[in-house]
Amino acid sequence: MIAILEQGLIIGITGLGVFITFRILDMPDLTVEGSFGLGGASTVALIVAGLGPIAAILLGMLFGALSGLVTGLIHRKLKVHVLLAGILVMTMLYSVNIRVMNAPNLPIPRTSESTKLGSYESITGEDPLAGILGDSGGDEAAPAQEKRTETTPSKERRLNIFSNNRDGSDLILILGIIAVLLGILFVFLKTDLGTVIRGFGSNKQGVEAFGMSMDFISLLGLAIANSLVALSGGLFSMYGGFADVTMGQGMIVTGLAMVMVGEILFGRFKPVFGLVAPVVGGIVYQGILALVMRYGYKVGFRASDMKLMTSLFIISVIAFSLLNNPNKKRKFKGKVKSLCSNSKT
Amino acid sequence: MLKLEDVTVVYNPGQDNEKIALKEVSMEANKSDFVVIVGSNGAGKSTLLNIVLGKLEPTRGRYYLKSQEIKKPSISKMAHLIGRVYQNPNSGVFSNLTIRENLKIASKKGNRGLKFSKVPKKAIDLLKELNMGLEERMDTVAGELSGGQKQALAMVMAVITDPEVLLLDEHTASLDPKSALRVMELTKMINEEYDVTILMITHNMEFAERYGNRKIEIDEGIVNEHEPINRLSTANVRAM
Repeated sequence: MIAILEQGLIIGITGLGVFITFRILDMPDLTVEGSFGLGGASTVALIVAGLGPIAAILLGMLFGALSGLVTGLIHRKLKVHVLLAGILVMTMLYSVNIRVMNAPNLPIPRTSESTKLGSYESITGEDPLAGILGDSGGDEAAPAQEKRTETTPSKERRLNIFSNNRDGSDLILILGIIAVLLGILFVFLKTDLGTVIRGFGSNKQGVEAFGMSMDFISLLGLAIANSLVALSGGLFSMYGGFADVTMGQGMIVTGLAMVMVGEILFGRFKPVFGLVAPVVGGIVYQGILALVMRYGYKVGFRASDMKLMTSLFIISVIAFSLLNNPNKKRKFKGKVKSLCSNSKT
Repeated sequence: MLKLEDVTVVYNPGQDNEKIALKEVSMEANKSDFVVIVGSNGAGKSTLLNIVLGKLEPTRGRYYLKSQEIKKPSISKMAHLIGRVYQNPNSGVFSNLTIRENLKIASKKGNRGLKFSKVPKKAIDLLKELNMGLEERMDTVAGELSGGQKQALAMVMAVITDPEVLLLDEHTASLDPKSALRVMELTKMINEEYDVTILMITHNMEFAERYGNRKIEIDEGIVNEHEPINRLSTANVRAM
């Protein structure tokens, strides 16, 4: 149960990022798929490189923000639809994440001594892409086994903010992080600048009429959202003990599902400008995932079916809203249109 | 106040689909003028509007605002100088924010910081003058207001920071006759009490005659008429 709460809260931060782009900015940003992995990859790579876990995660957030900025610049300056801009950056980040880790995945060393080992290559002596390209590495792996023991004694330091003891200490830490995040976001969104950002989603041209640049608001919003997603990715990697290049796959759908679950649960009640909903949605989503993985086999369900089910869930929520409230028909039609057609903004 | 000198705008110059949107247009609007701009669809009204807002550079000619030539102006500068209200009631307000938050956004022009500004007294006074009771519903979300109330709020938002010019682009077109009349009365009051120059694009010839004191007619990019109007009194309008 504690693990469900912990994991749910961690991916709930991704839900926060998705909520900011989809609901507050009204910009369907797919960068999330890459920035989640970037957060994880950069956090672990920086820890392996010798940086402290908190500094690593903060830098990971910065890289996430930069990825959002790149998407925003492609969208605003090159007039590319935000969906395509997000897909481009997401695709680029796949390669970047492998570069960052120098491998498709990278574990967090258990002790500071083992950080001296560095990358996957130095740990295993294998070409990290050998498996993918069909080259096993063969006999060259043998000398690397010797390398693994070549560690230099150094002063012990903490490499992970999580203890992974499932004793509730990690849960308290994650709750603390979420509380700080929600507090900062709430105060920020109440400021003059934050109010404009909240208004931006409903009237993008209006922002310009009152003297603010749409480019600035778009870039700032995307940077904030993707820094949160990268934080989520970094925490997820620390929690799991490793980063993987595929860890961001499907995160946009998961994020949307969390947002929708949260909105269903809270209805018209929007505490902290609605920011609490995706976090709670994350916990519920993770709970459903755990139940499916535990008991789903009885009905022939596999864990790999989860992404299919998540997408079907989102479609069901949209369809249900339509059927339930005919007045919303036009609104939803417009929403779907805006997701599919070229943006003029 | 606002002056256009021989402004010509050509779209796609030198290409097969070249189109002259405005042809040697000269016009002038002085302080407190209520200028109505009429013309059929495609006549060049929107192009003129974009020139006035600084969103479009004339192909030839010059545009002056407050005796300064306008060339590639900043968004912030134009927001200070020109308030604007469009046809769609949702385009002038932020429909997901409360009336208070809308007024808070409108009370500043240009970049915002991490401050917690309050709604200025002038905004509340203007709301009271509307007689719509909006000042008592400050925490109502703007999206819940009627079209007429949204347009009235949009007009208040457009004039809070004392712009030199108020640009109205068919701002009563989507309203029912009663709401439209009410919004026009508010427009007149703003024009007279706050000395704001008004440029109003409209298809409603009745409103053009009753409220404007000058009329500009655009046809295929050419200004055909430029005539003063004997504005009817408010009492006459109400009676009608």
